[in-house]
Amino acid sequence: MKKERESFLRNFIEAFTKGDIFTKLSILIFGTGYVARGQYVKAVILQIVQVLFFVFTFGFSLNYMSKLGTLGTIQREEIFDPKTLSKVVNDYDNSLMILLCGVIGIIFIFLYILLSLSNVKACYELQCLKKDGKHINTFSEDLKDLFNHKFHITLLTLPSIGILLIKVIPILFMICIAFTNYDGDHQPPTYLFTWVGLENFKTLFTSTSTVTFGYAFVRILLWTLIWAFFATFSTFYGGVLLAKFINDKKTKFKKLWRSLFVITIAIPQFVTLLLVGKMFSDYGIINSICNKIGLVGFLQDIGLVSKGLSFIPFLSKPGWANVMVLLINLWVGIPFQMLSATGILMNIPEDQLESAKIDGATERQIFRKITMPYVLFITGPSLVTAFIANINNFNVIYLLTNDYVTTNMSYANSNAKEVDLLITWLFTLTNDYSNYKMACVIGICVFVISASLTLLTFTRMIAGNREEEFQ
Amino acid sequence: MKKVIRPVLRHLFLAFLAFVWLIPIVWLFVTSLSSYKGINTMHFFPDKWSIDNYVQLFTRPDTVANFPAWFKNSFIIGVFTCMISVVFVLMVSYAFSCMRFASRKKLMSFYIILDMFPGVLSMIAIYFVMKLLGLTNSIFGLIVIYSAGSGLGYLICKGFFDTIPLSLRESAKLEGASEYTIFTKIVIPLSKPMIVYTVINAFLAPWMDFVMARLMIRSKDPVNWTVAMGLFNLVQRTLVGDYFSVFCAGGIIVAIPISVLFLIMQRFYVEGITGGAVKG
Repeated sequence: MKKERESFLRNFIEAFTKGDIFTKLSILIFGTGYVARGQYVKAVILQIVQVLFFVFTFGFSLNYMSKLGTLGTIQREEIFDPKTLSKVVNDYDNSLMILLCGVIGIIFIFLYILLSLSNVKACYELQCLKKDGKHINTFSEDLKDLFNHKFHITLLTLPSIGILLIKVIPILFMICIAFTNYDGDHQPPTYLFTWVGLENFKTLFTSTSTVTFGYAFVRILLWTLIWAFFATFSTFYGGVLLAKFINDKKTKFKKLWRSLFVITIAIPQFVTLLLVGKMFSDYGIINSICNKIGLVGFLQDIGLVSKGLSFIPFLSKPGWANVMVLLINLWVGIPFQMLSATGILMNIPEDQLESAKIDGATERQIFRKITMPYVLFITGPSLVTAFIANINNFNVIYLLTNDYVTTNMSYANSNAKEVDLLITWLFTLTNDYSNYKMACVIGICVFVISASLTLLTFTRMIAGNREEEFQ
Repeated sequence: MKKVIRPVLRHLFLAFLAFVWLIPIVWLFVTSLSSYKGINTMHFFPDKWSIDNYVQLFTRPDTVANFPAWFKNSFIIGVFTCMISVVFVLMVSYAFSCMRFASRKKLMSFYIILDMFPGVLSMIAIYFVMKLLGLTNSIFGLIVIYSAGSGLGYLICKGFFDTIPLSLRESAKLEGASEYTIFTKIVIPLSKPMIVYTVINAFLAPWMDFVMARLMIRSKDPVNWTVAMGLFNLVQRTLVGDYFSVFCAGGIIVAIPISVLFLIMQRFYVEGITGGAVKG
């Protein structure tokens, strides 16, 4: 990767030093290099791009970028004007807009520099072509090239603009927020917020009697990892076993069984999860049935439910709720795993199974020594993805524990609950308490965890040359 | 004797599992046919049956529930998201899998890393970006949000393209086909399972997501909501007593388009998930 970057810069320097006056000029005025070689249409297009960039920067984003250092200094004030009998608002700074537009402005400058460097290189190539007396593409030939040798540019442009808009800008913006004091007390447009350095990261690891982020963070992180581990492997094994069971030769009506389980996928998760949450609520239907058959009394006798309660706190007490969400997640996840495992199981080479049978292997041996390794080999990478998806599994936790109220003050002080994952904690912080700064710090932590996990397993896949193995 | 018992046990076990899995679904269905509007906490089956909930859903929109409008909005969003996402994913996958250009691997890793940022975190920022563009409170804005980033999900599809024999593309090139021709005439027709997989995922997103929609659409008029937003609103504490069985009816109706999609594409779906993985 480093080599590529170096050669990009070296190519540029070579092009710039060896280029003639037109090539050199093209770093300032984009079109010159093309005009000199007779590519007029291209020259006009690039010139328009350059002019648009300058209009954007000097007319719009420079105004915000210049205030990025302080994130604004003039607070909003309303003054009652006795002459016109109306309120007049001063020309105030909006920290949020300054940060957002500042980030956008910087991204555009970065893109502009990249464009101008590669522009000089392109002009130099044209210069060489002309010197050697070779054919220089006309505009229509250039267009045709965009659908052939340079087709990747055509393919990637639109998706990349989308990614820039929806992913890159928001992510950079949110990373910046982690280093500011943007919270409920510093909300634009009424108030300003400003840079505070690593202050929020320190808060995340402190636990005192009033600030309990350190206390909550360690526990929630641990629960997130436990949840992700159990949720991933329980649904995975459950799904494979169920698929194996249904696909067995001795099972009749395979299609019927499969569709019975698939029905649960057809109803959107948020409907079924909200419904199951209501079924298991303190005064819900499951509890009245448990009361009728005397289960509540029994659990009270063996000490699993405290005496003061007349119901089983499925989703309202720590411990109970943690186990319940894992169990309900089985209900949600196994049909999905069953579906994909069915496809894999059907692809197991028949000859291996046959020869194992001839050698006298029992069914359990075949499952453990042939089926399972085969399934693991194929789905290994997707298990990592599933693990990360479970770290970020917002729906199951949020919809099931919507009504959960914590009684532990150390959790409550940092707006957390015992059953929260990092991701739901983050959401509560932003949505209910406007504590953006801490939410962003937690978000960065989640990212670091998922990214390091992925890098550990996927680097080989991307960096190695395995992608051409099967072509 | 053993020969009779074991298959019976096997099927009884499956029947028990299926029973457990179907309880919530059955409850959803019978509650949607209850004449009592709140949550029935004492009995599994309703005391009085009626189809009034469905009638109310479709013919009597009020200030909190306007199901026909929600359904229409979600459907429009689903269809457009689907089309844009499929096109984007195919385009990015082809560029990464079949073409060789400078900084290709750099871009691939960059996209993978970007995809790992928690979506919930950037939601707030996306809201501000959309506000800057004036796209909040509109269906168009939601379509942009659901589909614009879809290029990042190229990994599975690229894995699938990697398994298409190189000789196929090379012989086409010898015949004088351009990359565009290869993409549209050879690779796309071969990638039907991938297209189905992407279509299902993209179409379902707007039916399932209520968080992003609730954040983007601030309108208090239910005409502008999506199905997920509206149904979620119905089970909030203040409304659940009067609308729970209506919520259940809504849940059943939403399952219809999704089931139809599944039935049509069920065969491809299994192939689609594993097709790429099995071969590579």
